[in-house]
Amino acid sequence: QDVITGKVIDAKTREPLPGATVIVQGTNLATTTDSEGTYRLTVSSPNGKITVSYVGFLAKTIDLANQKKIDVELEPNISMLEDVVVIGYGTAKKSDITGSVASLTEKSFNKGVNVSAEQLIAGKVSGVQIIQNSGEPGGGITVNIRGMGSLNAGNSPLYVVDGFPIDNSTTVSGTGANFTGMRTARNPLNSINPADIASIEVLKDASATAIYGSRGANGVVLITTKRGKEGGLKVNYDTYYGVQNVMNDIDLLSANDYKAVMNSLIDAGAGSANLKIGEFSGGTDWLKRMYHKNAPIKSHNLSFSGGNQSTKYYTSLNYFDQDGLLINSSNKRYSARVNLEHTNKNFTVGTNITSSYVADSYVANGFDLNERAGIIYAAIAYEPTLSIYDQDNNYVLSKNMNIDNPLAIANGKTSTSDLYRTLGNVYGEVKFLTDFSARLNLGADITSQRRDTYVDRQTIEGRANGGIASVLTGTNNSFLSELTLNYKKRFGNQDLNVLFGTTAQQFNANDLTSQGSGFPSDATKTDNLSLGDPTRFIATSSRSRNSLLSYLGRVNYNIAEKYLLTGSLRIDGSSRFGENNKYGVFPSFAFAWRLENEEFIKNAEYITALKLRSSWGQTGNQAIDNYQSLTTYTTGQKAVIGSQQVSTTTPNRVPNPNLKWETSEQLNFGLDFGLWGNRITGSLDWYTKTTRDMLLNLPIPRTTGFTTMMTNIGSVRNSGFEVLINSNNLSGPLSWETTLNMTWMNNKVLNLGGIDNIFTGSAGGTANVAIIKVGLPMYAFYGYTIDGVWQTGDDFTATKDNVKPGDFKYRDLNGDKIVNADDRQVIGNPFPKFMASLTNNFTYKGFNLNVFFDGAWGAKMLNNNLVDTYFPANLLRNRLSEPLLNRWTPSNPSAVYPSFVNPLGQGKKEVNTYTVESADFLRLNTVKLGYDFSIKNSAVKGVGVFVTAQNLAMWTKYKGYDPSINPNGGGVRIDWNAFPTARTILFGLNLNL
Amino acid sequence: CNDFLKEEVFSQLAPENYLKTKEGLTSVLYETYAKAANMNGNNSIYVLGPQEFVTDILYQSGDNVEATIRNYRDFNWDPNMDFLIQNWDSYYQCVRNANILLENIPGSNLSAAEKTLYEAEARFLRAVSYYKLYFFFGTVPLRTSSSQGLSLPRASEDELKQFIAAELKFSLENLPNPGAEAQKYRAHKAAASGYLIKFYLNTKNWNEASTVSAQFLSSFKTYSLFATYKDMFKVDNENNNEYIWVRPAIASSDRVTANSWSNVSFPDNFKSAPEVGLVFKSTWLNWPNEFRIYDKFYDTFEAADKRRELMITYYINASDQRVELRGSDNIRSFKYWPDPNNVGAAHGNDIPEIRLADILLSRAEALNELNGPSTEALQLVNQVRTRAGLPGLKLENVATKEAFRDMILLERGHEFFNEGHRRMDLIRTGKFISDAQARGKNAQPFQLVFPIPQVVIDSDPVIQQNPNY
Repeated sequence: QDVITGKVIDAKTREPLPGATVIVQGTNLATTTDSEGTYRLTVSSPNGKITVSYVGFLAKTIDLANQKKIDVELEPNISMLEDVVVIGYGTAKKSDITGSVASLTEKSFNKGVNVSAEQLIAGKVSGVQIIQNSGEPGGGITVNIRGMGSLNAGNSPLYVVDGFPIDNSTTVSGTGANFTGMRTARNPLNSINPADIASIEVLKDASATAIYGSRGANGVVLITTKRGKEGGLKVNYDTYYGVQNVMNDIDLLSANDYKAVMNSLIDAGAGSANLKIGEFSGGTDWLKRMYHKNAPIKSHNLSFSGGNQSTKYYTSLNYFDQDGLLINSSNKRYSARVNLEHTNKNFTVGTNITSSYVADSYVANGFDLNERAGIIYAAIAYEPTLSIYDQDNNYVLSKNMNIDNPLAIANGKTSTSDLYRTLGNVYGEVKFLTDFSARLNLGADITSQRRDTYVDRQTIEGRANGGIASVLTGTNNSFLSELTLNYKKRFGNQDLNVLFGTTAQQFNANDLTSQGSGFPSDATKTDNLSLGDPTRFIATSSRSRNSLLSYLGRVNYNIAEKYLLTGSLRIDGSSRFGENNKYGVFPSFAFAWRLENEEFIKNAEYITALKLRSSWGQTGNQAIDNYQSLTTYTTGQKAVIGSQQVSTTTPNRVPNPNLKWETSEQLNFGLDFGLWGNRITGSLDWYTKTTRDMLLNLPIPRTTGFTTMMTNIGSVRNSGFEVLINSNNLSGPLSWETTLNMTWMNNKVLNLGGIDNIFTGSAGGTANVAIIKVGLPMYAFYGYTIDGVWQTGDDFTATKDNVKPGDFKYRDLNGDKIVNADDRQVIGNPFPKFMASLTNNFTYKGFNLNVFFDGAWGAKMLNNNLVDTYFPANLLRNRLSEPLLNRWTPSNPSAVYPSFVNPLGQGKKEVNTYTVESADFLRLNTVKLGYDFSIKNSAVKGVGVFVTAQNLAMWTKYKGYDPSINPNGGGVRIDWNAFPTARTILFGLNLNL
Repeated sequence: CNDFLKEEVFSQLAPENYLKTKEGLTSVLYETYAKAANMNGNNSIYVLGPQEFVTDILYQSGDNVEATIRNYRDFNWDPNMDFLIQNWDSYYQCVRNANILLENIPGSNLSAAEKTLYEAEARFLRAVSYYKLYFFFGTVPLRTSSSQGLSLPRASEDELKQFIAAELKFSLENLPNPGAEAQKYRAHKAAASGYLIKFYLNTKNWNEASTVSAQFLSSFKTYSLFATYKDMFKVDNENNNEYIWVRPAIASSDRVTANSWSNVSFPDNFKSAPEVGLVFKSTWLNWPNEFRIYDKFYDTFEAADKRRELMITYYINASDQRVELRGSDNIRSFKYWPDPNNVGAAHGNDIPEIRLADILLSRAEALNELNGPSTEALQLVNQVRTRAGLPGLKLENVATKEAFRDMILLERGHEFFNEGHRRMDLIRTGKFISDAQARGKNAQPFQLVFPIPQVVIDSDPVIQQNPNY
């Protein structure tokens, strides 16, 4: 018999672990460590194995191999199977979860610049597609959990911050007169400081989301902010500074190439000889002039936290300041938070409050053309042979196109916004009768915003109107009142947990917009509208309200830690729906089987955890505009009566008193596993989600004077397979951990209520980009197939169209020798078929390295800047260089690129297999290298420094700035005049006191 | 609890009480006028344009709309073409509003006289909308009440024609006399009479056209030809005595009542046009979208014709060079003389729909079709020619009905270019297709009507497309 001793410590903190269990394998021999983390054990054989385990740490098995002293370092259990996970209206142990819930904590959040909460988890959760709409600082983000199921009722998940379901709509949606904006507004979630977030749970299947009823169909994102922990005051200061540059520029014709190409096109008959480009001096790379080189980004975050047994506190201050890659654009945030909780025996009271100020500065850029265009459109089109200024030092104006000077737009059109948001809740919880507790939660979310836009006389439009000033203001607020009752009881080896609740929430919005023009001077901008021409003032305002009243219940039943049953029900009433359908019922059931606790599995040594999950449920979607079930009269088209314009009223819509929510029915099968002492953990999930009674703007006979009626009709199915694997490849001094996420998705329209198809999507002169049709994915690209270019020797009797060598050869699908609208077909899917991400974390001594790759395959995007290249509004507009430099000429009979001599000769077939490009990409998303100094000084607990690179490399064939964005927002993917994506290098410091 | 879920409407109006009041009905009536005028955005030019792109007057090129307008020009029409729906929706919205008005007027607090007036106005605007739809698309569904089913097939030719004529006659009886209307741009008897004349003329009901035009000329004597043709279309002269009914325009930044013509008439880098004394103002916009007059059309004018003075054959560009326009089918028309008080792209020139010259020439045409050339008919044409600075036609020089028909058609071309009458004038005289074929277009007889917009057919499959589209 030998006596073995040793010490068990936390491999990360080097702190001893008191109470760790040490077991001799195959025996009943066991002990626990003392307060110093040491143990002492008598073993019968010197060659056995011991297993050391501790809650929250990965168990370790060690060969005794005749050793007498064995010190053990335990790695914290990264997969956190035993962690508490936030679920709707409560929490649960991760191992007890029956639904499909992805949980991420601070540790696994994305490194680098995260302006908003979604960016923390972008690419990290299988089944969740998070698309940045553009590279605009603080720009909009599209989040789709398990695909898109709705055409008109929105596809955004419900965000719940510390139990408060927030209204994530924009407060001021307009941009101001004559100011081109992005199609999607900046992200309303920006007002919540990501550094305050402790964890984000993504509820994916119906078992998890049904408790949110009519708002659960698109999934739910639960955001939990940081709390204080027992112990003394902890001060944490994080800061970083970074520079941003364009990740992937687009190549235009240079001044010399432009001159050569245009003159040769004119020689070939593309235009009259007087358009020829003569000598020029210098020229301008307009696009480069739009970029803010080394655009700075900085963040400071300071928090104080701590507490004792009864009271815990966390408070923070944040300053974030990002300049956009395009000149004159920026996003700043100042925020503060206080989270407090006090517990006194059976009573707990707490509050979470955050208040923030977001200051945005915009540059005119977006989906508009010609004299209304933004800077990227203008910079692409403007002749590179021009100088910026004329001899009088005024901005040069192109004589060949009706577009303002790009710098005049950038400097002459200004727009800023100030947004103030306070989000807070107060809660109290009482425990009574041993097994019961009741919780009251009251909250408010109040946002107010003002945007000021001025178009001055440097611009064509400003001159034409004597300056144009717009002031847009708005307020959104929402109030929540929620009472829940919990019953928790253990009967032998069975646990029962029952939740009942009722909740009411009201959303109010109002806005006021004023506009003036004809100012005597540009000096007062938007600060004195009354100086404008009194006959040209325009003012509009509106107010709306909607309410939800709900009853909810949930039962969790756990039998012997083996069989887990969950059932939930929510009854939701919504003011948005018709008189005949105010209330909806949303049930769900789930069953999970923890196989690891079954005898027949227990013997399989390598299986640490194994759980099978199945769930079914129904959720709803009510995210439509207010008043869709009523007929109302609203502002009509102005008429000219007498000698002036008069306001009028118009009937708004055909009423539908039967209007109700969309219903999504979802079936999910999943498997959670942990192998070799949870060294490898993971989840597999398969789901199918069918949305029916879609809220569709059903086209109705246009002879009614209306075009659509909001109707519950049609269905869409999303199905998919999700894989998450987490592996601790190495532990010890050099540790290496890998996380792999994979998602396969499939979207299909099942029924459109008898409508053959719906065309949608437009940008500039490009219309009907996508089709919605039964049997296809939603928003499939629909257009012409290009089979190369007509060559001199081709058989031209094959077509009746007027084509010449060097013209596009469009595929004549129906063989009638004419290529027209009947020859269009599906040419792409806007949704990726497969998405994946791979994260590797290495630590060695004080160093840590995080490398994150992500990618998506199978999706396409319309590159509308390529449309402008192939079908220019006029000859002399500059364009993307590659097609023009390699164009077809008699001496260079390209099979790929046309001659550009008569680009409109066959009409404008904008949506085709050239302009709808593959958006496949693989990206080295983030690399972060950090070093934590080991500090002996007691005043300072930790100092770390890091350098982070974002968007370091992108492998793609896409010809625009970035294939991973969607400047159009929503389902139709269109890239046009996108705000470029940044490659960012950050340097940072963490300080713990 | 149910109160909590009651949908409260703050910024919109509930119809129950609103449509019982004069204010409510007036406000809806005003929108009915706006929909009939169809001047929102660029609809001024895209309602007028298809009536001339398909004729010998003008064509368009430049900018994103070129691909669409080329289809009109080349008779390559398909139901998905743009500018078809712009000529459909606004009129059915007008019909929708008119029907709502007609259903709510009886139960409202209007006085008896007001009820008669509002009913006559609603029926006038509805009839004008059907008139425009009929001559653009052929027969269309006839919606006369809000309670008809959503789906509605096309009416028969007779049904629609009888409806238009009967409604215009009702309006003619019940509307006020011109000058007695409550406000400028509201309907009056002369407008109803004018449309009735044009309706009979275009449906070749020469007898009725002759009768009603005679009544017009004897009843509404306040109208006279404006002395200076060149100045008639300027914003300053909108209150002239020749305009009978117009699509009213007022320049405003929202461009809902805008005339966009000037933006498409300036040639590239336009600085000035010495021929007409026009100098570019920095507040005007010069679009890449260009409307160009054919040389051949310009050449049909007699040298002395003052109406030609609204077109320019050359200009001075921003680099002070003289640029010729004539010779390359690039002549520009400044009929809608740029508005000195424009707001951005919006100019305030009203677009005449019916003016006295049209009544005179219409009557002359009806008389010729009934009885051949006559002194009275020639005298009507000569009034118009005299104002244009041309010698009168003499009966001895007008040999036949056919010759006179051609002369009237030519005269109408010179008098009404850019007013959107050319397509119907050519159709009525049987030259629309042959004339296009002579210009080398692949025009076919079925193209006397445009195709019904595809979105309309998609929205209601009982609506049958016009043959051959």
